[in-house]
Amino acid sequence: MSADPVDTGETPAAPISAPSDAAPPQDAPPTAEKGAPEKPALSGAELKKRAKAEKAAKRAQQKAATDGTSGAPHDSKPVQQEPKQQKKDGKQAPKEPKQGPKEAGQPGMPIPMRRRQSVTLPPPKEKEEVIKQVGLFGHLYGQPKQHSIAAAAKEVHPAILALGLQYSSYVICGSTARCVSMLLAFKKVIESYTTPKGQALARHLTSHHLSPQITYLQACRPISISMGNAIRHLKDLIVKIDPAVSEADAKEHLIDSIDSFIKERITAADELISEEAMRKIAEKGDVILTYASSTIVQTTLLKAHDAGKQFRVIVVDSKPLYEGKALARNLAHHGLQVSYSLISSAAHAMKNVTRIFLGAHAMMSNGRLYSRIGTAAIAMLAHERDIPVAVLCESVKFTDQVALDSIVKNELASPEELLSENERSALVDLLPKEKSSSTDKHEDVMKWWRDEPNLQMLNLLYDVTPAEYISIVITEFGSLPPSSVPVVHRISTNT
Amino acid sequence: MATEPPPPDKYDIVAAYQRLLANDHDLTKPIAAIEALVDAMATTSTETVSETLETLEDHIRTLKSSVSNPISLSAGTDLFQRYLITTLNRPSADLTSPAGAVDFDAIRNQLLTNRGLFASRAKAHRATIAQSGRNLIRDGARVLTNGGSRVVAALLRSVAETGSVRFQVVYVLDPDAASQEGEWSGPAIVAMLRAKGIPVATIPDSAVAGALAEIDLIVVGAEAIVMNGGIISKMGTYQMGLLGNIKHKPFYVVAESHKFVRILPAGQYDLPIKQRAIDFKVGKEGELVSIEHESQGGYTVEDEAVDLSDSGASGGKTGKKDSDNSENPVDYTPPNLISGILTESGVLTPSAVSEELIKIWF
Repeated sequence: MSADPVDTGETPAAPISAPSDAAPPQDAPPTAEKGAPEKPALSGAELKKRAKAEKAAKRAQQKAATDGTSGAPHDSKPVQQEPKQQKKDGKQAPKEPKQGPKEAGQPGMPIPMRRRQSVTLPPPKEKEEVIKQVGLFGHLYGQPKQHSIAAAAKEVHPAILALGLQYSSYVICGSTARCVSMLLAFKKVIESYTTPKGQALARHLTSHHLSPQITYLQACRPISISMGNAIRHLKDLIVKIDPAVSEADAKEHLIDSIDSFIKERITAADELISEEAMRKIAEKGDVILTYASSTIVQTTLLKAHDAGKQFRVIVVDSKPLYEGKALARNLAHHGLQVSYSLISSAAHAMKNVTRIFLGAHAMMSNGRLYSRIGTAAIAMLAHERDIPVAVLCESVKFTDQVALDSIVKNELASPEELLSENERSALVDLLPKEKSSSTDKHEDVMKWWRDEPNLQMLNLLYDVTPAEYISIVITEFGSLPPSSVPVVHRISTNT
Repeated sequence: MATEPPPPDKYDIVAAYQRLLANDHDLTKPIAAIEALVDAMATTSTETVSETLETLEDHIRTLKSSVSNPISLSAGTDLFQRYLITTLNRPSADLTSPAGAVDFDAIRNQLLTNRGLFASRAKAHRATIAQSGRNLIRDGARVLTNGGSRVVAALLRSVAETGSVRFQVVYVLDPDAASQEGEWSGPAIVAMLRAKGIPVATIPDSAVAGALAEIDLIVVGAEAIVMNGGIISKMGTYQMGLLGNIKHKPFYVVAESHKFVRILPAGQYDLPIKQRAIDFKVGKEGELVSIEHESQGGYTVEDEAVDLSDSGASGGKTGKKDSDNSENPVDYTPPNLISGILTESGVLTPSAVSEELIKIWF
């Protein structure tokens, strides 16, 4: 418990009633907070919010009681929405310590809050081992990632089970790859679906058959913007199915639609984007820098090479995923001149670069790029040196959300991924004697890290690149300035 | 169609385009391109949609390849192509035969009757801009401008004619001979303004930074406005933008919206034209100046003062080298240097340009 870095630190964990104190107005006298009298003063929206928060808290507690052995986390959706709520609460009562219903719902987690007499005692700690959380990013800690199929709901299709594990272990990584593999798996899910008697496919398929799959995938790794867009598209298709259509026809229609979605929005789009991006490469003498790994960047570079353009590629990579290694190897294997360096030497690598190509996880409506962590630093360095930065991005990755920073919305990976096997071995010698008890030295190192009260570990997966640092967004609609993202998003979702 | 496909070179589009430009100095390149295309489409007889579009594309290709800088021209050809595609895809009732098929003769007639509209509207737009741009120039302002922009000239003239605004103009004139001919060249505009009683000073490119302290705002024209709201304009505009930005002088672009083009350069060297701003050469001792003299198309180092009498001689000298000498070198001014773009539909921020363009294209 002493691990919390927030200065309001050592406060008892939140009871279920905790969320209610986010709602009352700041200047309300403390007595008003005791029960009924303050309730009528709340607006409808506030009441609704509180009800929701309480529900979430209750659910989380239930889950904690079963210690995660029950089915997939059903509240993954609400959890995702929490940060927004939290922000709102913060605005209404700015002086109140940061507190969100979600945090309240997680027992054993220190909640910075005002001490009140009406507070019931915290529930006894059920788990000794708690994941240490970095205060500023507290809202991002959801359920721990699912790394096994043990806790999966029985409705989850085997194809999805396998896929989920591939997601959580980063075997399938990258927004496009995850989106395509999910859609392909959904095809199998739909194939194996039979509508129960007395139900309509259009109503039953989404809610009873598809959503457990999505929930499971979400638990393995938060779904990407492109996956979200694809799911929305699929749900839209399902709802529009005429009840008069036979089940076989409906399923065939859905499967065909998924195929054409992949073809139109991803395969064909990639073709167009790589053609367009290739034209940006000069016949001779360009030095192109790319960060981490993007399939579309790889396609573009290979195409340009095949077209006889003479250029050099610098792949900049970073811990802990080292995605660029595969890209650099692939490019070199195809005969391109490649150099590989880590982000720590990016400023040096930038020296002779004439162009930057970046992949994207998502393009935000305010023209900002949401991509692998480190991208913003690369774009900033390039901007500093006046090197044009091009983002290669299919319109399926566009979203109407906006992002101002990398804090409000992000994905946290397990902090243990930060330390590789080798790095752990290097630390074994430093291990204090009394700590090394078991035979597994590596595990001991991790435990030592975890238990160190003054050490915080944070493993963010994404960051947000400001629009000023991006010169061009290359989409299947052509080259656009980042300010056109919302316009294109509107067009591509309407048609 | 089966008997004999009309040869694409039946109509000399390039000659028509050059003729239009030569006959009417008020005509901008995009409009001239549109008019030439209208004429071309009206003379060719096509029967199917794809045939029509193919012929059109062929003409556009010919036209673009005939000039060294097709950027501003392509604004017109793109617009016309778009217009024709929409007309063919969704023909209005009076353009279709009773059977529902597209009546190509009707379309041709419509094109011909509307032919003059493009030019007359463009001229009307210029007047609108001049009218609405008056507020840009306040009493006592000192305006820095360059090039030979018709719109800027119209704007300054319109302000001068109000009589109530006293302002001064600092005109950047480069001694490039090629740009000093015709009604809308720099010297001609200077003379026109001086005749209206507006004090005009002329400075060379090299004096821009030095003169900037005395300047209140910068107004320039544009050959083309690109997707992100940057402009492609006469070489030297970018440095005015950069310097103006450093010294916090408002930098306004005045241009008709038919100059919006669907390209997005990533930098100076990403323009879809072949132009060598930097041309390396070596030579023997003492030879350097004369070589540079030649490569710059009559741009002499000492010739900094404007000397109209000299222009004929040096123009003749360079004429043989580059057949298309009327195409002046251009540069790209990125949107972050631009305060606002004044078009006939109002003052746009640079970021609004892409939205306008997307509206046309999707």
